[in-house]
Amino acid sequence: MVYYLGIILDDKRYEQIKGTPIEEKVQYLFGGTLRMIPLEIPDDKAQQILKAFEKARIDSRGFIEDVPVALKRVVFEEIAKSKSLDVIDKVLERLPEIQEAARKEDEYIPPPEIE
Amino acid sequence: MPMIKMPPPHGGELVYRVVKKRDLAEKMAAGCVEYELKPTTDPKGVPIRHVYREIMSVCYGFFSPVEGSMVQEELERVLKERRLLSEWIFPYPILFDISDEDLKALDVKEGDRLLLKLKGQPFAVMDIEEIYKINPEEVATRTFGTPENNPEVVRVPFDEKHPGWMIYRCMHPNVIAGKWTIINEPVFKPPYDRFWFPPAECRTIIKNVKKWRTCIAHQTRNVPHVGHEMLMKCAAFAGDVEPAHGILVNAIIGAKRRGDYPDEAILEGHEAVNKYGYIKPERHMVTLTLWDMRYGNPIESLLHGIIRQNMGCTHHMFGRDHAAVGDYYDMYATQILWTKGIPSFGFDAPPNEVDYGLKILPQNMAEFWYCPVCGEIAYSESCGHTNARQKFSGSFIRGIIAEGIFPPKVIFRPEVYKVIVKWWKEFGYPFVNNKYLEIKNRELEVDLPPMELPKG
Repeated sequence: MVYYLGIILDDKRYEQIKGTPIEEKVQYLFGGTLRMIPLEIPDDKAQQILKAFEKARIDSRGFIEDVPVALKRVVFEEIAKSKSLDVIDKVLERLPEIQEAARKEDEYIPPPEIE
Repeated sequence: MPMIKMPPPHGGELVYRVVKKRDLAEKMAAGCVEYELKPTTDPKGVPIRHVYREIMSVCYGFFSPVEGSMVQEELERVLKERRLLSEWIFPYPILFDISDEDLKALDVKEGDRLLLKLKGQPFAVMDIEEIYKINPEEVATRTFGTPENNPEVVRVPFDEKHPGWMIYRCMHPNVIAGKWTIINEPVFKPPYDRFWFPPAECRTIIKNVKKWRTCIAHQTRNVPHVGHEMLMKCAAFAGDVEPAHGILVNAIIGAKRRGDYPDEAILEGHEAVNKYGYIKPERHMVTLTLWDMRYGNPIESLLHGIIRQNMGCTHHMFGRDHAAVGDYYDMYATQILWTKGIPSFGFDAPPNEVDYGLKILPQNMAEFWYCPVCGEIAYSESCGHTNARQKFSGSFIRGIIAEGIFPPKVIFRPEVYKVIVKWWKEFGYPFVNNKYLEIKNRELEVDLPPMELPKG
C-alpha cells in the first residue's frame, strides 16, 4: 500500500522548484488555487512516520496528515536540494531533529503576518 | 404536506433551575457545606472536563428534562437503554463525581444540601438524593459501546486515545446524585457573551425576532470551511413547503481534543459567515452550548437532537462522521441511528419515531467536495466525477493553516481565516493544545459576581 504526504507550495517554495523536473509533478487543487506535490510514501516508511508522531494519521484520501510542520519543511528542503522526489530515506535520517522541532511546535507556532 | 411548527421541549417542559432573587438564593445557600468545583484531569494532569458546564446546561434547560446528577438507577437505565427513569430518551450519564478524600471531608449524606462554588464564589446548590460508587472505566466503556455488544456501529474498542471515553474513565469513583439549582448567575465573558442564548430565550428569538417557522440546527466543533458552509446552505433546503427559514449554528464549548480549534475562533468564525454575508444574518444565527464534548458519534447525535429541539429547532443536519474522532464507530453510525435505529443501544427505530423520543427531524447529508470538472463545490450524491473529487479533509486543512499559508477562498473565506489568525496570535497556537486547555480551565467562559452569604 502506498500513502502520500502532501507538500503545499506557496509562492516562495514554488520558485525553488520552478523549471526543474519536480514542476511536472505539481498538482493544482481547488480550481488551481493551491499547488501541492503528492509525495509517495511506501507502507513501511509510512508506519515509521506514524510511529514517530503521536498525532499523525492517514486520512480518507490516503494522505498522512496531522504531522508536524517541521516534517513537511524538512521534506521540502530535501526535495529542493536534490531536485528529486526520492527523498524519504534522507528525511527519515533527520527524524530526531524533526522530533525535537515537533516538541517545540506543540507549545508554539508563529502566526503568519497578515493584514 | 403539513406545515411544520416549532416542537415542544424534550420531556414536555423546559427545565429552568436558576434563582434570580438574591434573598431567596441566600436563604437556599445559608448554612450549607461548601465545595469548590474542580476539573476532571487526565493522568498527566491536563484538564479535560469541568462539571460547571454540565450544571449550566442542565439548569438553563439545554438538557431538559434532566435536572441534575443522576441517581444510580437512572445511570443504569441510561447505560442500558438510553432512557431516563421518566422514560424520555437521554444518551449520556450526567454525573457529579467526587474523590474519596473530598467526600470524606464534606461528610454529607442524602437529604443534605451542598453549596457548589466556582472561582471562589457561590454558584449553585445541590440537593443530595443519593451517594453511590461507580467503576469509571466500566461507565466509560458502557457509555460508548463495544464491538461485541454494539456490532451494528462500534468498530474497535474504545481506549485512552478517545477523549470522551477518557472523560468518564478519569472520573472519581463516588457520585453525588441530586438536582442542581444555580443561585448566582455567571456572567459570560467576550466573545462568549454574544452567543449565549439559553433555550427559553432562543425559542423566543426564533419565534418573535427572527420569525422563523422552521429552523435547521448545525452542530459544530469547527471553524467553518467552505465545505461546512455548503453543508449548511444545502441542508437548509430541508423544510416543508419551502426551505428552512433559519439555520441555527450551535457550537459545543468546552475542553476539546488537542488539534481542534479554540472555542473563541469557532464562534467568531461562524459569526464571520453571516457578518460578511456568505449566509445572511437574517437566516443564520450562532449560539453555544457548554459541554465538554464526548465525541460519541451516534450517542452524541442524540444529545445534539435534544439540545437543539430544546432551543426550538425543527430539523437537525447530520453529516458523515458526526461528532466523531478516530475510527471507533462506523462513519455513518449517526445516520444509521436516525434512519433505522440501533437496537443494541435501545433504538429499534429512529429516535424521532419511538415513544418518549425526539420531535426534531433529521436531515442526513452526505459529503461535499471540490469538483474540478464541475468547477464548484459539489454534493457527493449529485456529482458524477468521483475520481476527480478534491475532499475538504479537516486534517489537510489544519496542515495548511499550521504552515501559515493563507488558504484559498474556495477552502476558507478570508474573513473566517483572519479569525483563526486573530486567536492564534492570542494563544500562540492555532489549535487546542495543553497550554490552551490549562488557560481555559483557569479562566473558564464566565466570571462569577461576588456574593456574600449571611454567616451561620
